[in-house]
Amino acid sequence: MLNVAGRILLELGSTRRSLLFWVLFPALMLLLFGLIYAEGGSTGHSFDRTAPGILIGAALFFSCLGGPITVLVGERERHTLKRVLLSPLPPTRYFLGVFLAFCVVAAVQTVVVYGIAFAFGAAFHGSLPLGVAIVGLSVLAYVTLGFHFGARFARTTEEVNGPLAALGVPLLVLGGTFFDPSILPPYLMAAAQLDPIFHMNEALKAVSAEGAGWRAVADHMLVLGGFALFAALIGLRAYGRLLREEGGS
Amino acid sequence: MLLEVRGLRMQRGGQEVLGGLDFTADRGEIYGLLGPNGAGKTTCFDILAGFLVPDAGEIRLAGRPLDGEARRAVGIVPQEIALYPKLTCRQNLRFFARLYGVRGDAVEARVSGSLRDVGLEASADRPVAQLSGGMQRRLNVAVGLVHDPAMLILDEPTVGLDLESRLQIWNLLRTLRDGGRTLLLTTHYLEEAETLCSRIGILVDGRLAAEGSPEELRGRIPAAEVAGIECEEPAALRARVEALGLAWRPAGHRTAVWLPERETLEAVAARFQGVPIRGLDLHPVRLEDVYREVVGRPQPGTAQRFVDPPGAASRAALVDWPSYGSHTDHP
Repeated sequence: MLNVAGRILLELGSTRRSLLFWVLFPALMLLLFGLIYAEGGSTGHSFDRTAPGILIGAALFFSCLGGPITVLVGERERHTLKRVLLSPLPPTRYFLGVFLAFCVVAAVQTVVVYGIAFAFGAAFHGSLPLGVAIVGLSVLAYVTLGFHFGARFARTTEEVNGPLAALGVPLLVLGGTFFDPSILPPYLMAAAQLDPIFHMNEALKAVSAEGAGWRAVADHMLVLGGFALFAALIGLRAYGRLLREEGGS
Repeated sequence: MLLEVRGLRMQRGGQEVLGGLDFTADRGEIYGLLGPNGAGKTTCFDILAGFLVPDAGEIRLAGRPLDGEARRAVGIVPQEIALYPKLTCRQNLRFFARLYGVRGDAVEARVSGSLRDVGLEASADRPVAQLSGGMQRRLNVAVGLVHDPAMLILDEPTVGLDLESRLQIWNLLRTLRDGGRTLLLTTHYLEEAETLCSRIGILVDGRLAAEGSPEELRGRIPAAEVAGIECEEPAALRARVEALGLAWRPAGHRTAVWLPERETLEAVAARFQGVPIRGLDLHPVRLEDVYREVVGRPQPGTAQRFVDPPGAASRAALVDWPSYGSHTDHP
C-alpha cells in the first residue's frame, strides 16, 4: 500500500504541471475571492468564509477526483495496471494505496489553502478533528468516485479532462464553492441540496468559519457520509469490474 | 522438471480456448509456445501468470501447485512495455521488487542485479521515457526478473524491435537460461523460437498440435531441402511438381516444394524448365515449414492437391544444414 502510494507521489512529483495546477489554481482562486469579498469589510473574515469552499471545490475536487481517474487511465494506457494486478499485491491494497496517495495530496493542499488564508488573517474557529473528518470524508468520496469514473468510463486521458470540467464546474458553482449559496434563488437552492459538494462546503464552512460543532453540521455530515458510502460502493464495484476486464483483455 | 502443465482447459464466451493442454519445462530450459492468433497462447499465459483461473487442469512448479505464494517464483514479461515512463529505471525496479515482497537491503541488491543482468547499469537513473525502444524492452524483462523468479514467462519479448535490439534480447535470454532460469516464451517470430528454444510446442485451437526440439520438429517434414518457387502460373508449377512425384505446400505467394535430396539451384531450375518461374530459393527445412504444416489450413480447392510422394516418410532424415540456402531469380 505504501509502495503504491509512494510510486504515485513520485510520479506526481515528476509531473510538475499537475502539481502546479493543484497548488496554483486553488491559491489564486482563494486570493481572488478572498480579496473580492473583503472589499468594504474584514479581510480575515472574508478569507474565513472563502477558504473552506476553495479547498473543497477548487483544490480537492480536481486533485482527489481527477487524480485517481488520471492514475487509473494512465495505468491502463501504459499497460502497468495488468502488471501490478499480476503481482501478489491484493487489489484492495492497490485501491488503498491510491487513496493514501491522494490523502497526502489533500493534506498538502489543505496546508497551502489554509496557510494563505491564515496569512490574510483568517483562523480556524471550530473543532479541528471535525474539520479533518469533513475533509477526510470529502477525499474518500472524491477518490472512490474517481475510481468509479476511471474504471468504468475513461479509457484515455483525453476522455478525462473535458467531462470533468463540463460536469464538475457547474456542480462546484452550485455547491457554493466560489460564493455564499444564500444568494441562490429558492429553486437553485433546492437543487443545491442534491449536490454533495454543497454539503461538503457548508459543513466545512460552518466548522471552520463559524465554529459550529457536531450537532450543527449533523445533517450535512449525514448526507456527506451517505454519499461517501455510495461513492465507495460504486467505486469498488467498478474497480472489481475493471479487474475482470483486465483479466479478459 | 520445473513446470508441469496437465489437462489445462478453459472456455471463454462459450468457446473452448484451451482444450486439455499438457506440457512441461525443465530447469534452465527455454520452452517456446507458438501458434496463430486465437490459438490460446495468451490465455495460457494469463493462467500461468495467475490472472485467469482455468476450468480444469493442474499447474505445478517444482512439484507444488502454482498458486498463492508459489506465484512469487514466477516472473512476468508482458508483450507491451509496461513501465512508468516518468520514473527512472531504478525507481521502476524498486516499485516492482516491493510489489513482489522484496524487502529491506535486498531491494537495492535485486535492483542492481537486475540492471546488471540486462546491461542497463549506466542508465539506471534515467527516466524510462528517455530510453530507446530496445532499452525499454530490456528493462521490461528486468522488471520480470527483479524478484529473482525461478521461471520467467515472456510474451513476445522482441515484438517491434530492430535486429540489433532483438539480438541483444536474445543474448539476454540465453544468459538467463545459462544462469539456471526456466523461460517460457511466446513469439510470432519463428526464427526466434528456432534459435532460442530447446523445445517448442505449437498450439492450434487450444491444443498442443506438435511438440519437440527444433531438430525433432524439422524432422517431421519428409524432405532434405525445400525449394521456394514463385511462379506466374502456380497451377502449372504445381502440376509439374506432382508430375515429378514431389510434395508441395502453398507458402504465401510462393509454393514450397519438398525435395527428398539436396540439389543444386541449377538442377532444381532444370526440373521446371518451361514453367514461368519468377523466383527460386533453396533452404533446409525450417521451423517455418513445420509451422505451416501444423497450423496451415488447406486453401479452398487445394486440399485435395496436398500430395506426399510415395515413400516420402522414409526420407525423413534429420539434416543439419550449416546455413540457410541462397536465393536467386530464375531467368
